[in-house]
Amino acid sequence: MSQTISNTDRTQSNAIDCLNISEKKVGLFVTCLVNTMRPSIGFASITLLEQAGCNVEVPELQSCCGQPAFNSGDDEGTRQIAYQTIKQFENFDYVVVPSGSCAAMIKKNFVEVFKDQPEWLARAQHLADITHELLSFLVDVCNFEPTGIELEGSYTYHDSCSGYRSLHVYEQPRKMLSKVKGLEHNPLNGHAECCGFGGTFCVKYSNISNEIVAEKIENVLATEADYLLGGDMGCLMNMAGKLNREGHKEIKALHTAEVLAGLAPQLSGGKDAS
Amino acid sequence: MNNQKSDMSRASIFSAIKNATPTITKDAETIQQEALEILKESEFARPKLSSDDATEALVLRIEAGLVIGTSCEKISALDDLPASVNQFLGKYSLPQELKVQGIDRLQKLNWQGISTDIDIQKDNTVGLCWAEYGIAETGSFVVHSSTEMPILLNFLPLYLIAVIPKSKILHYMDDYALIANEIAKKGETPRNMCLISGVSGTTDIEGVLVQGAHGPEILHIIILEDQ
Amino acid sequence: MQVNKPEDFYKNVSKALAQPDLKMIIRRTTDKAEKKRAEAIANFPEFENARMQGQKVKDHTIKYMDHYLAEFEKNALAQGAIVHWASTGEEATKIVLDICRQHKAKKVTRSKSMLGEEIGLTHAFDNSEIERIETDLAEHIIQLAGDPPSHIVWPAMHRSREDVVKLFREFHLDPTYSEEITDLVRSARRDLRTKFLTSDIGISGSNFLLADSGSTCTVTNEGNAELTITPPKVHIVTAGIEKLVPSMAHAVPLLRLLTRSATGAEITQYITFHNGPKRANDADGPEECHIVLVDNGRTKMLADGMEEMLRCIRCGACMNHCVVYKHIGGHAYGSVYPGPMGSVLTPHLDSLEVANKQTHACTLNGRCEEVCPVNIPLPKLIRSLRARSWQKKYEPLTNRFIVQAFAALAKRPRVFQLFCSCGVVFMKLFSRQGWIKYMPLTSGWTRNRDLIEPESKTFMQQYRKMKKAKSDGV
Repeated sequence: MSQTISNTDRTQSNAIDCLNISEKKVGLFVTCLVNTMRPSIGFASITLLEQAGCNVEVPELQSCCGQPAFNSGDDEGTRQIAYQTIKQFENFDYVVVPSGSCAAMIKKNFVEVFKDQPEWLARAQHLADITHELLSFLVDVCNFEPTGIELEGSYTYHDSCSGYRSLHVYEQPRKMLSKVKGLEHNPLNGHAECCGFGGTFCVKYSNISNEIVAEKIENVLATEADYLLGGDMGCLMNMAGKLNREGHKEIKALHTAEVLAGLAPQLSGGKDAS
Repeated sequence: MNNQKSDMSRASIFSAIKNATPTITKDAETIQQEALEILKESEFARPKLSSDDATEALVLRIEAGLVIGTSCEKISALDDLPASVNQFLGKYSLPQELKVQGIDRLQKLNWQGISTDIDIQKDNTVGLCWAEYGIAETGSFVVHSSTEMPILLNFLPLYLIAVIPKSKILHYMDDYALIANEIAKKGETPRNMCLISGVSGTTDIEGVLVQGAHGPEILHIIILEDQ
Repeated sequence: MQVNKPEDFYKNVSKALAQPDLKMIIRRTTDKAEKKRAEAIANFPEFENARMQGQKVKDHTIKYMDHYLAEFEKNALAQGAIVHWASTGEEATKIVLDICRQHKAKKVTRSKSMLGEEIGLTHAFDNSEIERIETDLAEHIIQLAGDPPSHIVWPAMHRSREDVVKLFREFHLDPTYSEEITDLVRSARRDLRTKFLTSDIGISGSNFLLADSGSTCTVTNEGNAELTITPPKVHIVTAGIEKLVPSMAHAVPLLRLLTRSATGAEITQYITFHNGPKRANDADGPEECHIVLVDNGRTKMLADGMEEMLRCIRCGACMNHCVVYKHIGGHAYGSVYPGPMGSVLTPHLDSLEVANKQTHACTLNGRCEEVCPVNIPLPKLIRSLRARSWQKKYEPLTNRFIVQAFAALAKRPRVFQLFCSCGVVFMKLFSRQGWIKYMPLTSGWTRNRDLIEPESKTFMQQYRKMKKAKSDGV
């Protein structure tokens, strides 16, 4: 019997054929929050993937990963959304998502709603197998290292729950950020503790969510970092929104991809990055 | 009528389980094999001891302060026990009295004027008992209820001294489970088997640890080097 | 103290959040538990193996539950115990009270068990002529205060030292006038000692039921279980049928996991296996031993595909690490089991209709599953209860409508993207200097935080434009 039983597959996901990445077709699943609220994350993702040598395509017929329906218990609604996503993305070699929670939705949860439909279950499983969260894909599959990026200041990192616990994204963003010249890491106390976003939770239980995010930003402010980075737009919107409401303009919340793509200096709310 | 109701509930519980798991084979031997297979993993699923020698590991554990409220010493002969007990009483400024478990080997020692049969129902008393086993993994001593072992002797006194023969100190809780199994095979299972690892403690008021919640506040383990 | 109900969850939450010192009170306990657990796991490199083994023990026993139940019954009878079966909590409490009445008991001592709380044993005694004396210090405190428990391991964590001083002065025969915690514990020790020794019947739970020997097992730090059980003439055990394990050797891995996960200690001070009544010449012990085996929703969980929840060994790690529990506390849930475990158990003990709000009060962040000593996929189970609740249409209609409307849009990508584009235009109307402070229909968000201003066009609009520019350029 095996002596070390471990439930993490953090190391196993390394080294999936990282050769010939340029011959592989990568489909970008933009996610609805990035599409609506922060397109610059989508463009940063394309930039990084292309720098890593990928052949990136963005299918135009995409919408949402289905989390709002899934997490509300609406399995039928989730299936209706998932049919679209599967059809649009199953023929890529890789599907990359600039969000831990949306990636985890496709990777882990699609199969949950197709338990009674063998044909779709197989297709959902295939999509799950080829789908990756952006930051882990860049490091684990593409062996990517950012070069020539400079950003003066310090950052602290919030590990979003789905990315961290479902997909074991932890080292990858830190590894890439360590290559950004001038940027220092101030570790966050409770770095992997939920920020209180939780999708529909934050509006359904707005009062509890508020208490959670208030505590989160206390920890964030204690780091005295210039940038709050993460890999999920939902968490970032939540924390940034709370920081701004409380009048803290001294710290800027950004998606890690935006920093790595060199977009950080020119970004501010409402401005286009493209 | 209560019995009838209980029988009905029994039947409904069993049929509910059967309905929930209809396809599972329930051959007793296969089940036992599967159960034994799981135990093979214990070797890789338990903490390493600080010494290969069980007695040393037990002592190290107690000396490292990992067994709450507990101290220990070794004696080379049982005749040395009264002197050790006397020293213990002196250390805590206690009167020359305690309750010695009613077994010959303890009773017939020369107690040098220490009274050995006080009422343990009142508080602030000292108890002395003979442990069946020691367990290094948890810093435990084990007592079995019997004619000679009132379980309350281990729970009522504020101070407790337990003698563990070195030859009976086991490495792991698993080792004790094997012994318990042997005892059961002989049909000699006692009413109570108590694994005692430290003193009675509570953190129920504002998380502050207090020793001597209901039972002992101080535990002293005396290892008898009988090998 | 007024007892909260699970159906009033929203109200309970508001009440909890309005209580100014509640967060400090909860954190005093959960922060310490979290820290000590982390240390215990760090000192136990074999933890992952242990928890795989623990999970296997429970899964094996659950798989062959009827086999092991029959074996347990046979062996417990052989030890001289009397075995009773109860399908519901009501049946179980009736069995216990009937035994007490047959023995004309006036006073019963009880050592803490979650099952006892679950089946309403405490209330059943309070409505009877028999005096119930809780012997676990925390249960003693909340009994004096008339509170329900607020945590499964530290039921009185919501009570301060000052509260305890007042309660003990009022109720103890020989109270202390000191406010030192040690003296308070001594006061309880004096008060409970005579009660232990004069009790007619001792009632306990059981952390494990050993099938191959018919043993029940108590696990405590205070030693109150043995003091509850040994002096009286009769011992009654109430235990859920999921407490079964094949043998003592199978309980050992679970013992290694239980205390480390609950309090961060490596082991509890007292682990005692109880085998029927006293033997003929035993120095002490009860003359009669009754074991009440309780279903109360457990076979329903088995039938409902919730068998993973039957692994639960009630360590409380899930609530100590739950961001929601840490802000609202145990009482808000209005049920015996709070936190993540409660969100799965309560719908089976009460009903999903009553307890579905609790299943939604969870961010599905996965921390509970991460720390669970037997790998229970709590978020998955909580989500599947939401799915069941959705099918039964228990949610408020507005919530259903919003989710269905969203799904209807999202399954049509072109319409969805048009909706997003319009959304951006709409949001822009309310944006000031990069932020939205208020906007219709989003009060859930903007009540407590600002919303970032979106860029002028959606990603798809910008992307199409860019692609077009590129191809035009070429």
